[in-house]
Amino acid sequence: MLNYIISRLLQGALVIFLISLATFVIMRMLPGDPVMLLLGEGEIQITQEQIDAIRAKWGLDRPYYEQYLVWAGNMLRGDFGDSLIRRGVPVRDMIFEAMPVTGRLNVMAFALALLISLPAGIVAGVKRNSPFDYATTIGSTIGVALPNFWFGLMGIIVFALMLRWVPPFGLKTWQGYVLPVVVLASEQMAVFTRVMRGATIETLSQDYVRTATAKGLSRQVVILRHAVRNALLPVVTVIGFRIAFLFSGTIVIEQIFALPGLGRLFVDSLYRLDYQVVQSLVVLLAALVVFINLLTDLAYAFVDPRIRIER
Amino acid sequence: MSKKLNHRFNRRQFLQWTGGASAVAFLAACAPAAAPTGGSEEGTTTEASSSTESASGGGTMIWVGHQEVSGLSPNDAGPTVQWAMISNIHDPMLLLDENYELIPTLAESYEATPDGLSYTFNLRQGVKFHDGTDFTSKDVKYTFEFYADAETGSTLANNFQGMESVEAPDDYTIVITMAQPNAAFLVNAATSWIVPADYHAEVGEDTYRTAPIGTGAFKLKEWVAAEYTLLEANEDYFLGRANVDFLRQEVVPEPSVRAIALETGDAHYATWPLLVEDSIRLRDSGEGYQVFATPANSVKHFPLNNDNPVLSDKRVRQAMMHALDRQRIIDDLWNGAAEIATANLTPSAPYYNPNVKTYDYNPDTAMALLEEAGWTVGDDGVREKDGVKLSFTCTTITGDQARRPIAELAQQLFKEVGIEMLLEEAPVASITEAMRKGEMDASLYNWTYGSAVDPDASTTLRSDGANNFSHFKNDRVDELMDAGLVEIDPEKRRQYYDEIQEIVAEEVPFLFLQYDSWFDVFRPEVTGLPEPGSVKNANRLMIKGRTMGLSA
Repeated sequence: MLNYIISRLLQGALVIFLISLATFVIMRMLPGDPVMLLLGEGEIQITQEQIDAIRAKWGLDRPYYEQYLVWAGNMLRGDFGDSLIRRGVPVRDMIFEAMPVTGRLNVMAFALALLISLPAGIVAGVKRNSPFDYATTIGSTIGVALPNFWFGLMGIIVFALMLRWVPPFGLKTWQGYVLPVVVLASEQMAVFTRVMRGATIETLSQDYVRTATAKGLSRQVVILRHAVRNALLPVVTVIGFRIAFLFSGTIVIEQIFALPGLGRLFVDSLYRLDYQVVQSLVVLLAALVVFINLLTDLAYAFVDPRIRIER
Repeated sequence: MSKKLNHRFNRRQFLQWTGGASAVAFLAACAPAAAPTGGSEEGTTTEASSSTESASGGGTMIWVGHQEVSGLSPNDAGPTVQWAMISNIHDPMLLLDENYELIPTLAESYEATPDGLSYTFNLRQGVKFHDGTDFTSKDVKYTFEFYADAETGSTLANNFQGMESVEAPDDYTIVITMAQPNAAFLVNAATSWIVPADYHAEVGEDTYRTAPIGTGAFKLKEWVAAEYTLLEANEDYFLGRANVDFLRQEVVPEPSVRAIALETGDAHYATWPLLVEDSIRLRDSGEGYQVFATPANSVKHFPLNNDNPVLSDKRVRQAMMHALDRQRIIDDLWNGAAEIATANLTPSAPYYNPNVKTYDYNPDTAMALLEEAGWTVGDDGVREKDGVKLSFTCTTITGDQARRPIAELAQQLFKEVGIEMLLEEAPVASITEAMRKGEMDASLYNWTYGSAVDPDASTTLRSDGANNFSHFKNDRVDELMDAGLVEIDPEKRRQYYDEIQEIVAEEVPFLFLQYDSWFDVFRPEVTGLPEPGSVKNANRLMIKGRTMGLSA
């Protein structure tokens, strides 16, 4: 078990190294100059010598390999360096400032999605072809099909502009969380419900469920103790998978609702060619995904005793 | 002044959020978020407004911008959202107002010698920086010397062109000696935001931009770059305290959400414009929104690489001007909110020259010009000359939903006269860089080729200009531009710029489409604004956050 974890961690380190290299190369390959983006649409006049002086000041005139080694070396020591555009502000501070926002949104959205979708999926699976099942299926199809940004904007128009129940942007009050969390949750909910329903139907047709029913257990016990427990396995896989995807959903949501989270930080930094911030964020996210994948694998063993991790 | 304006999180908080303590996080998240001093409560916490200028007092005025405020030093004033805050925290010696007039501010008066080689400024006495130190001539000297030096990382060095020395003979006099005259010196350099010499020298530029101290009507209270910037009225401001207690700028990237925020009253003004259709809708709503529409400094244009053999003949470029139905573009694709461009300067510029060659929409003229230039129609309808097709690629900005339709219409219109324009997309930074290097044929964006502030366009139209996207090379324009820069008599100077605009109109270095109207939308309860229509550049009103109030 320990050996397995260690070898997985080593593989993860290699993946992260390759991703850091790829990100660095891609960022430098993007033509464009972060210095120019400080100038607005030509309102500030500047000469080539002046541009060069600023680039030298920012260390952008050094050879690429040197820039990469300095950055990678600092990352290993936990120092993400300073932002290019917000000079004087450490990237670490920017990330720690944005992380709680994204973290809170995702935890709430995830909790909401699980609370609703797991029971709904189970009931839909047990009462197959009932009106409830159809309603769930239609609901989750719509949930998957609707793009986040459209759902979000419609939410703002209806609940902020027309009904005035929630503010149109920001997180100044708790009401500000309602729309972004519901929109984020809706997409997760749709996926979880479908997987839970499918897995429930699958397990209900297994021999051991028939045996359990045959030996006279109540339907409730059969479903909850025998069927649902086993049906959870594919759901755990999907949950692990979705956690890695959560971030991509918040990119859109944070943009629309003007929430200062990691997604916004990423998009803003990319637009402004803030190499330092984009590189650090990508590497951190890669590390997060590697870590979550490992946890998901370990969670299998916990949920399904048949799976034994060996090496 | 706290240097730690940003929230910082310690390791324990970090672990709380990320280390899987999701239950803790969830509970914490459900509790009402510790609201950063926001909303209307702020107004009640401070004493009644001491303002005498307006009946409206107190409250928090909220502006919404589109991107984060990444720094607050004078150096960061490029992006509008930053300029809006920097200009309310700092003062210049001379303030360039919304009608492009120079208003003595930290300087009480000034004199220039007729040869343009020396300026003397008499500074206002008794002005204090937000930290209580006195404003004196050494602050001006320091500011000028620091930002004139590109080695310090200054983006403003070009403003101080020709400056030789800054002397401070006494605490309230500044004498500037020029190595050569610079006609734009007053509007570009004398309008620089002044920083406190001792403090700036002590903390350095990088820290200063996170914790600025000016003499302005507002001081920085709180700042979370990606979320909001909160300014607080400076009680001792030398021109009178601001009408509102707080000025808060929120970051709202999505334009339609900015419009909704104005409608719900969650914002009073949009620092960065709304969508044109939203601006027009609010203006025509009859609900009292104060909507200004003034021409932008920039020209919406197709920059064309004049070095490209296909585009190097001016008759081809003139033909493209005749092939473009610019009125249709404005009416159908821009809600009518623009004026047809005549050359590089906008009509609100004092040096604007309306008497230049014009290009009406006339496909026949376009085709005649192309025939004259030797381009004949080939089998596929695209013109050819010596086996080369009259074809080029226009790269528009990725996701630019506003301008892309213009490129698509232009593509059709060009096709009708036998010119093939292919369309591609790329990110904006890639495009400006590739155009600069001559690696792209054409693009479509807005840029400033000499502004209403000053008509000089050396960086964009001079042969060696850093942003000469069209690779325009014209000896006469170079000569005129150099002469215009050192001529400080406005009437003589005008002749140079009149001729530059005539040449640009004749040579068509880039396809000038239109001068966009820049909309500034204020909510009905904002007081202290001039009449819409009476100002040349309403965008500059945001420098004067002090004079605006909120009626109940």
